[in-house]
Amino acid sequence: MHLTQVLELFPEYTVTQLLFKDVKNTTELRKMAVNGEIKGALINPSMVVDSFQILVAANKAVHLHKNGKMKTRSLYSEIIFNLSPTNNISEAFKRFGISDSDSAVHIVLVHNKDEILNINDIILKVDGQQIAVDRVSDLTDVAKIKKLYKVAPLEEKCGSLLDAVVCRMATKDVA
Amino acid sequence: MAHSDSVKAGVPSYLKEAQMIKQGAEARVYRGTFLGRSVVIKERFTKLYRHPEVDEKLTRRRTTQEVRSILRCRRAGINAPVVYFVDYTTHCIFLEDIIHSVSVRDHIASAQASEQNPQHLQTLVDKIGEILAQMHDEDVIHGDLTTSNMLLVSGAEDHNMKLVLIDFGLSYISALPEDKGVDLYVLEKAFLSTHPKTETLFERLLKSYTASSKKSPAVIKKLDEVRLRGRKRSMVG
Amino acid sequence: MTVVIGFEGSANKIGVGIIRDGEVLSNPRRTYITPPGQGFLPGETAKHHRGVILTVLQEALDEAGLKAADIDCVAYTKGPGMGAPLVTVAIVARTVAQLWGKPLLGVNHCIGHIEMGRLITNAQNPTVLYVSGGNTQVIAYSERRYRIFGETIDIAVGNCLDRFARVIKISNDPSPGYNIEQMAKKGTKYIELPYTVKGMDVSFSGILSYIEDAAHKLLSASQCSPEDLCFSLQETVFAMLVEITERAMAHCGSQEVLIVGGVGCNLRLQEMMGVMCKERGARLFATDESFCIDNGAMIAQAGWEMFRSGQVTELSDSWITQRYRTDEVEVTWRD
Repeated sequence: MHLTQVLELFPEYTVTQLLFKDVKNTTELRKMAVNGEIKGALINPSMVVDSFQILVAANKAVHLHKNGKMKTRSLYSEIIFNLSPTNNISEAFKRFGISDSDSAVHIVLVHNKDEILNINDIILKVDGQQIAVDRVSDLTDVAKIKKLYKVAPLEEKCGSLLDAVVCRMATKDVA
Repeated sequence: MAHSDSVKAGVPSYLKEAQMIKQGAEARVYRGTFLGRSVVIKERFTKLYRHPEVDEKLTRRRTTQEVRSILRCRRAGINAPVVYFVDYTTHCIFLEDIIHSVSVRDHIASAQASEQNPQHLQTLVDKIGEILAQMHDEDVIHGDLTTSNMLLVSGAEDHNMKLVLIDFGLSYISALPEDKGVDLYVLEKAFLSTHPKTETLFERLLKSYTASSKKSPAVIKKLDEVRLRGRKRSMVG
Repeated sequence: MTVVIGFEGSANKIGVGIIRDGEVLSNPRRTYITPPGQGFLPGETAKHHRGVILTVLQEALDEAGLKAADIDCVAYTKGPGMGAPLVTVAIVARTVAQLWGKPLLGVNHCIGHIEMGRLITNAQNPTVLYVSGGNTQVIAYSERRYRIFGETIDIAVGNCLDRFARVIKISNDPSPGYNIEQMAKKGTKYIELPYTVKGMDVSFSGILSYIEDAAHKLLSASQCSPEDLCFSLQETVFAMLVEITERAMAHCGSQEVLIVGGVGCNLRLQEMMGVMCKERGARLFATDESFCIDNGAMIAQAGWEMFRSGQVTELSDSWITQRYRTDEVEVTWRD
């Protein structure tokens, strides 16, 4: 049900995504992420159009990490920051991170291919129902995304919402 | 998370495996796969003939301008490839691969060779004029308009023809009619030198441009001035 | 055997050259040099040319060891260039053609540069960068024309250099461009200047007005030396020229470059072009100042090609024109 992909630019790294709904221990999960019990980024799935969007954020985070040019403290916070269309870090966490009241969580793990990753460890920590990652589109809040990324109807003439979102993420350093 | 691996990994080693499809004047273009998608990678390499400071500034500026203008065009509904990733250290841009497309240059050449009905090319230049007017209304100056830098996506009918603008490396943002006029002048010269005997076709393109933008009269006036400058220029020496 | 004599005087050089089937028999020349800070004006330049043209003509014949009877055709520069000097030279060419009873031939100055470059370097079908005081063009041959793929949209590169030289009072002897080149060798600091490439075209007026404005400020504040300015200007404008040449080569699929025109003898420009060519696996062809700079032999050589392909200019058509684009000429001597 989870999705594991290799980053072509950094073949030593893989990115694993897991999606949960009806989560009852969001507050607890947030704490675990903060104190390092969960080594991953916890993302609000309503802000995710497609798993590709997460991959773009993760790839950029690994790239900046390797070049020592991250804007935030960890690879996982960097992934959340990269999802945001703006360069405001606290704003990025507010919009793309999860809050105590959320009942769905999109978890992103980045690991070196030599590391043994026990996905079950993560799954056991979540008190909720795991669903297939591609079902994230069921949870997407299209209106909220369009508003936040400022996607006007005109732009959808030349591509999907995902294209619009990804293009902004990739160019936000100079746009 | 461990990151002891060689720092060289990343874009440079990736490009070694990628398939180079073109070595242009200022960039190498590759085709590859990025996060599972088919992409075109544009790598601006160091031009050794340039002073290092000139080279560094130009390369950085052009990479930035390129992605900025693409986003600006897309926001306005003008087709340009999606930017997936930009590496400012190696000056590489990862772009959407516009599949099933042919350059307008090749398309016109083959249409002229096969002498198919002229109406099709007329529809094409009407569309080009319309898109360029839209682009200029967004104050995007392409900087290198040629028929090689426009892709025609195949399959669509004439009435909803899909054209994609590419290669925004020399682009910049300006509202000045002079800059827009020069943009058209560059296209005119490239168009007429690449496609012999297309004067009437290009006139039609300009007519469509004029009809598509309220700001066009000032631009066309500047275009006329720039053309005249070419002919009236003192050529002493 | 065909012997052609060529008269050139479209700007501040006056030259007479004789060509016999690809062989340069003579090519004497004089230059009208103005004081530092001053450019050459048409009337005074024409006066200079009038004063020396017959001497130069005699030198050309003596050096070639020929008499008037040995000449088959008299070629002269029809344009482009400055009106008064062009007229002066055309009158002399017309007169000798009638005296000697030889056919006349009006030649495009730019074509003269190209054909001379091809003769001297043996370049077959090069992309030509033509750079001088009045011209900046990237040219390639196709379907009976030398077509202009790129050019300046305002002033010529040589004009930009000459006017910069006047701003900081660089000597015009032997030429402002030569002196800038020598000074640039001693420059070390790069001052950023506007860099303007538009497609295959370039613009120099922005650079000139920027440096005209900044030069004295920078110099009086000791932020850089005159040598640094020469260096920065050359590095910038030459990079632009090499870039548009490379763009044109990529566009036309060409693997040869020929540099012609007065600015073309600048060794730094040749060096930069050479690096670009090496990167592309292309070949560079360039000539030294005897043929890069305006001269009579180049007019004779283009005239030779035209004459051999059956062209002559009737006396009634032997006018001059200040504006004469390279692509107006039908190239009847190439396939």
